[in-house]
Amino acid sequence: MKLKICAGSNCTLLGSLSILDQIDDLKEIISEDAENYRDEGLEVEVIKCLGYCKETNEQVAPVVVIDGEPMFNATSQAVMEKIVNKIRK
Amino acid sequence: MKESYVDLINIRRQVFARIAKMAYEGTDLSELGKTCYEILPGEVATYRDSIFRERAIIDERLRLTLGLNARKPTEYHRVTDGINEVDVDETRFVEPLVNVITSACEACPTKAYYVTDNCRKCLAHPCTNVCPTNAVSIGKNRAIIDQDKCIKCGRCKETCPYSAIVKYERPCAAACGVNAIESDYLGRAQINRDRCVSCGSCIIQCPYGAISDKSQIYQLIKALKSNNHMYAIIAPSFLGQFGPLATPAQIFEGIKQLGFEDVVEVSLGADITTIREANEFLEKVPNEIPYMGTSCCNSWALMVEKLFPDQYEYISDSSSPMVYTAKYIKEKDPDARITFIGPCISKKLEALREEVKDYVHFVITFEELMGMFVAKGIELSEIEVSDEIKDASALGRGYAIAGGVAEAVKNTALKIDPSREINVEGVSTLHECVKLMKVAKAGKKKGYLLEGMACPGGCVAGPGTIASYNRVKKAVTEFKNKAAIKSPLDNEIIDERLRNKSEKKEN
Repeated sequence: MKLKICAGSNCTLLGSLSILDQIDDLKEIISEDAENYRDEGLEVEVIKCLGYCKETNEQVAPVVVIDGEPMFNATSQAVMEKIVNKIRK
Repeated sequence: MKESYVDLINIRRQVFARIAKMAYEGTDLSELGKTCYEILPGEVATYRDSIFRERAIIDERLRLTLGLNARKPTEYHRVTDGINEVDVDETRFVEPLVNVITSACEACPTKAYYVTDNCRKCLAHPCTNVCPTNAVSIGKNRAIIDQDKCIKCGRCKETCPYSAIVKYERPCAAACGVNAIESDYLGRAQINRDRCVSCGSCIIQCPYGAISDKSQIYQLIKALKSNNHMYAIIAPSFLGQFGPLATPAQIFEGIKQLGFEDVVEVSLGADITTIREANEFLEKVPNEIPYMGTSCCNSWALMVEKLFPDQYEYISDSSSPMVYTAKYIKEKDPDARITFIGPCISKKLEALREEVKDYVHFVITFEELMGMFVAKGIELSEIEVSDEIKDASALGRGYAIAGGVAEAVKNTALKIDPSREINVEGVSTLHECVKLMKVAKAGKKKGYLLEGMACPGGCVAGPGTIASYNRVKKAVTEFKNKAAIKSPLDNEIIDERLRNKSEKKEN
């Protein structure tokens, strides 16, 4: 599973670092309970601004791209749910 | 903790970015009334019971961010009242710094023990048996605590086999290390000015975002637009604050792009504080003063001044790293106007002091700075840089982490006079600082160097930070280890006379 978390200015202002922290914590939850998760790698990459917020006046930050699909106004709980749904047995 | 208060943090930061944008674009402040509609569009509430209340609270936040007082709920005021006084290019700041936004406060009950649904009215009912005031009885559905009789000793909670009794405390009051949170006639939080030391704990702990400090970003940006000689000094905890991709050099360059002429590490001032405190300690302890307290944390120093006035003379006379860094710049450019950027809100008060106000002209937090980057459309990770930053020693860069100040001072004092034995004790959080001062006042810390920091774990956990404690601590340690020089005594930027004064004693 591939996760890209935007660390552009707007996303950093509106909480992308806390999503990153929560995912670190989720990795711990997974490793403590490893037999219930598939052995699929969780690849987390911090990326530069993708420019979505500059194209619109709508609020989109923070942006997280999960397996190629962008999630706008991402929250840690929504991102973690996607990960867990995908890799929990 | 702070990381999981996402909605609240985002409201606060959106207001910073919005005010910064208004300042950069030169928006007429008389239009402030419509800003809350831009931040919260539509007619459906997102965070609270009604969107009207949400907007009223945003209005108060906008005012506080402009440096104005929040409005009294009992008097008629427009959101723009007083706006002309703050539409200037210098700090216009009226105390108090820390304010309860009364319309946001939910008047949480004060500290109490409660019995929850877990209670099974068990036959043993040890809760009633251990209560020293006979305040617990078994009611129809569960045990009942008579709040008038309860002395809050917590014995019932400890003994219950079903974890049915919980301790309840208002988060603002629980966070306050100096008991400054009281209640107004409606039970809402009210801050006792005689006790508050502006550490900012209650601001970040209130789950309703009902407490806020004031900002100077609007006036700062006006100054950046109209003045030259603007300098920024950045606190040692800046590492990692602006995202994992932004390097220290990119952060410095980004700050320059906001309109600053130059940026200097406050760790340089920390090196100067270290040398001065080391000399002061060697000269005065234990003959002139029984122990010496560090002076760099303003909330710690204020706490001693307010709660232990007879001990205040034992706090070091050396100025804080912020002040020495500013003085260093002022010597090179007498027309300099200097902005401190840090994790701390207490520095906003320190900068108002008579002996400081001519050196430090603005104080903003990392969060507020991030709002400025967003308003100006600066992407730190995309800036091309080549310079390395080398203002300070490793010990100076360590000031941001609890224990770092005492380590630097002890290490340096021992270099100056290796024959001395120096005992050190350091605490962080205001609760612990108060405890330590009680022990020191009782005469049990003779010969000690006492380091006090108001934030848990040091400045890296300050109320104005963006990144989490662990992330920043790691980044600060990395940057510290990268420093080309290890000791402040080898920092050639610092006046030779000060460093030599120290060396002479060695011979």
